Amino acid sequence: MKNERKRTFLLITIPILALFVCFNTIPLIRGVIYSFTNFKGFGTYDWVGFRNYIDLFSDARVGKSYLFTFKLAIVTTVVVNVLSLALALALNSKIRAKSFFRGAYFLPNILGALVVGYIFNYFFTYILPAFGSMIGSESLGSSILSNPDSAWIGIMVVCAWQAVAMNTIIYISGLQTVPEDVYEAGGLDGATGWKQFRYLTFPLIIPFFSINMVLCVKNFLMVFDQIMALTKGGPAQSTESISYLIYNNGMSGGQFGFQSANAVIFFLVIVTVSVAQMKFTGKKEEQL
Amino acid sequence: MKEGMTKKTNWTAMVVLILGLSAIAFPLYMTLIIAFKQPSEMTTSVSGILSLPKTWSLDNFREAMRVTDFWNSFKNSLLITILTVVLSIIIHSLMGYALGRNKSHSKFYSFVYLFIVSGMFVPFAILMMPLAKQTAEMGLSNWFGVILLYVVFYMPMNILLYSGYLVNIPMALEEAAKVDGASTWRTYWKIIFPIMRPMHATVAVLTALSVWNDVMTPLVIMAGSEQNTLPLAQLNFQTQFGTNYNLAFASYLLSLIPILIFYLICQKQILNGVVNGAVK
Amino acid sequence: MKGNAIGHIGISLCCMAAAAGIQGCAASGDSNKTVIEIVQYKPEAAGYFEMLEEQFNATHDDIQLKISSPNDAMTILRTRFIREDYPDIIGIGGDINYSYFVDAEILADVSDYAGLADIKQAYRDIDEALELVPTEGTYAVPYVANAAGVLYNRDLFEEHGWEIPQNWTEFTALCDEIQSEGILPFYFGFKDTWTCLAPWNAMAVSLAPADVTKQVNRGETTFAEEYREVSEKYLDLLQYAVGDPFAYGYNDACTAFARGEAAMYPIGSYAIPQILSVNPDLNIDSFVMPANDDAAQNTLNSGIDLQFCVMADCKNKEAAYEVLDFLYEEENIQQYIDAQIAIPCKEGDFTLSPMLDGMNQHIAEGRMTDYQDHYYPSEMAVDAQIQTFLLQKDVDAFLQKFDTDWLRYNRDIIRMVQDYERTHGN
Repeated sequence: MKNERKRTFLLITIPILALFVCFNTIPLIRGVIYSFTNFKGFGTYDWVGFRNYIDLFSDARVGKSYLFTFKLAIVTTVVVNVLSLALALALNSKIRAKSFFRGAYFLPNILGALVVGYIFNYFFTYILPAFGSMIGSESLGSSILSNPDSAWIGIMVVCAWQAVAMNTIIYISGLQTVPEDVYEAGGLDGATGWKQFRYLTFPLIIPFFSINMVLCVKNFLMVFDQIMALTKGGPAQSTESISYLIYNNGMSGGQFGFQSANAVIFFLVIVTVSVAQMKFTGKKEEQL
Repeated sequence: MKEGMTKKTNWTAMVVLILGLSAIAFPLYMTLIIAFKQPSEMTTSVSGILSLPKTWSLDNFREAMRVTDFWNSFKNSLLITILTVVLSIIIHSLMGYALGRNKSHSKFYSFVYLFIVSGMFVPFAILMMPLAKQTAEMGLSNWFGVILLYVVFYMPMNILLYSGYLVNIPMALEEAAKVDGASTWRTYWKIIFPIMRPMHATVAVLTALSVWNDVMTPLVIMAGSEQNTLPLAQLNFQTQFGTNYNLAFASYLLSLIPILIFYLICQKQILNGVVNGAVK
Repeated sequence: MKGNAIGHIGISLCCMAAAAGIQGCAASGDSNKTVIEIVQYKPEAAGYFEMLEEQFNATHDDIQLKISSPNDAMTILRTRFIREDYPDIIGIGGDINYSYFVDAEILADVSDYAGLADIKQAYRDIDEALELVPTEGTYAVPYVANAAGVLYNRDLFEEHGWEIPQNWTEFTALCDEIQSEGILPFYFGFKDTWTCLAPWNAMAVSLAPADVTKQVNRGETTFAEEYREVSEKYLDLLQYAVGDPFAYGYNDACTAFARGEAAMYPIGSYAIPQILSVNPDLNIDSFVMPANDDAAQNTLNSGIDLQFCVMADCKNKEAAYEVLDFLYEEENIQQYIDAQIAIPCKEGDFTLSPMLDGMNQHIAEGRMTDYQDHYYPSEMAVDAQIQTFLLQKDVDAFLQKFDTDWLRYNRDIIRMVQDYERTHGN
């Protein structure tokens, strides 16, 4: 009987594990191998040792894409979390048509990022400048996507527009775990408004806060669709995210080998960030 | 007195929410009216931008459907999404069961569990180039290859969900069945699989949303095969639209409608699924 | 019992995989016709090629021709090459991609193709020059060339009595005059980075040596030396352009020019069909970019816009040649150049579009020079570098970066050329 159980589990595990290894582990290893070549993606190639890695650290374009991606990820994460926390508080308060609002606010999240990007692309290129010139604003009079200093803001807005929905829902479910009597007790101590939030509500939803942080940072570090739809990395290569650069230069730009090295580094960065985040939030939760 | 206070509608929140709603509604409103307008109705003045189309003709949509071969891409998207969801539920729940029940007492299973779950950290960017080559070598540069890849990509997350859920299902249930002489396999399908239904819903919703909207995997795997998914069609026909934004927007709207309908019907399940998935 | 059920899933998975495999095979194996697949990279000519495909298939029983004209074909081709899934013939431009493909040995030697003899020697020379290191064979059959200079609105010019400028001084004077009459001289669509290269190329051919890249590779000169004038003059052009050229893409710029919003548009002849699709009545002509102050030094920027290469992987080269024979029939080429406003690479009596009138003399005299960007490695993204430069307007920084990046991205090529020259006693 015991053997039968063991055998069944093995028969389930082995084929599925094989599938996983075949389409996840093996490509990963192959990616690492390609990173030591000057492969263009077709034709022959030579081994170049660590040259790709050395180049990576002196390549201004790659460096710029890391800076951009991190800037975008950090700013968007902050913006998204502030907005969605505020929305969640509002949606969790005593309001009319609660389920309608909740449904409506989640809507952006189910839409495809690429198409949303295209819609906003038009919005930034034509509609916003029209409003800008109407109110006589110089800086809004032209497309924010055409200026290397402001294009990232456009991408941030689109990322946030969609991501706020997700985070709000998670915060709401967090707020619902806060028992009503906590507020009542707090109310007696004179904790209202900001104080109530800071000292009563927020500590209780810290786990949800850390979920949102992890989700946001990871998603935004891998941003691709929005770039594809809004700027294709421009203007002046100011909005090339790491994923976009790897796709663009690796698949069609003839840098298969070099971008493989970039991808390996990117992988290590993602692992480091995730582990650091989990360690950090884990500690915070313990403290409370 | 306190009773009365808690029951009162929070009007500040209402105002904030209604204002916030316009930020969501405005882009969608613009999409809708641009999709119905004719190129001659497009102006650069604010009032012109906001105004409703002169006629509500479906011509743009008909043309967009023709240009992008809408039904074909729709069919592909639907096929890929449904098959991925079905396969994910079957394969991931089985694997979640096998790992969840054994990882606490077996080094091998706990290693496999960690091995697969840590796959969550592997960005698609590092896999895509080798995968483009590998799927081609295996003759999988088609929708079937894309499905297989999805099943692998979502495996870490879904196994985490299933094995986490399994903790709440007491072993006693299985042992009772075993006493009746049922095999482990049979017990799984008769007892465990049905009990995990809430998790199936979560997995289905999460997987379906990600698969339906994904661009990168089909882009890398199927490019040039003349097979499009709905998002891929928008990307591929971008230049075909030229500056006819009306046609483009009709096409965008068409690609959004299926998921909007799905959302209207299953809103509650989707919200629950998403929350369950994130909060575990 | 349980073994059965597990086997069941296994079998059904295998079946599905097999079904997918069969589906893949069935497409090519359902008849005994030879299928020749062409992927060509000019989506704007999709209609023409659809028509050719139909005509060919109606008249040939033994060969079935399949032509696809996808958007972003270069990405698709490269992705397919990564997958080692080659079409039979590819239609590409005479640019660095061609050089790479020759180097990667994925193209077939077509020197035994009879039709080559009818192709103008000048264009065959361009292809030779594009090879990273000289090879024995011939790997492409040039189809049509394009020319890049300045497109202008003929009606506007006649109305105001403006003259075609012959040198740089006249050109800037003309721009000043147009501007003073309240008309916008240029539209640009710099949001699409590649369009930044059009004026760049058109000016560079008259201001820098034609083989500047090869000279730099040999260490004889630097770009800081050769491209300074081009860069400075490019900035001069910018002050006559639409307010925020980086907000608009190629399509937007074509549309604006078609609607008469600007008097000129410095772009290649390939843009004309796109412009006419917006406004079929627009009276367009073009002139050679008068970048040099010495009119005699101004040469027309012209390169191979489309050429066909048979892939080394092609199973049936004879069938491929038969398809090429059909593509290069004079009436077909004439139709192509009428529709796309191109210049044929084949010898023969062709009628050029009146929209190339202003360039006719240069074409007839053969005063043409290939695009310099056809020698730039694509991963260096010179187009984006020029875009950056136009935004920052810092000539020194731009040229310095150009030189350092050039050495980095070309180091394998430079080494290869050096090896070649050493072994061939050059």
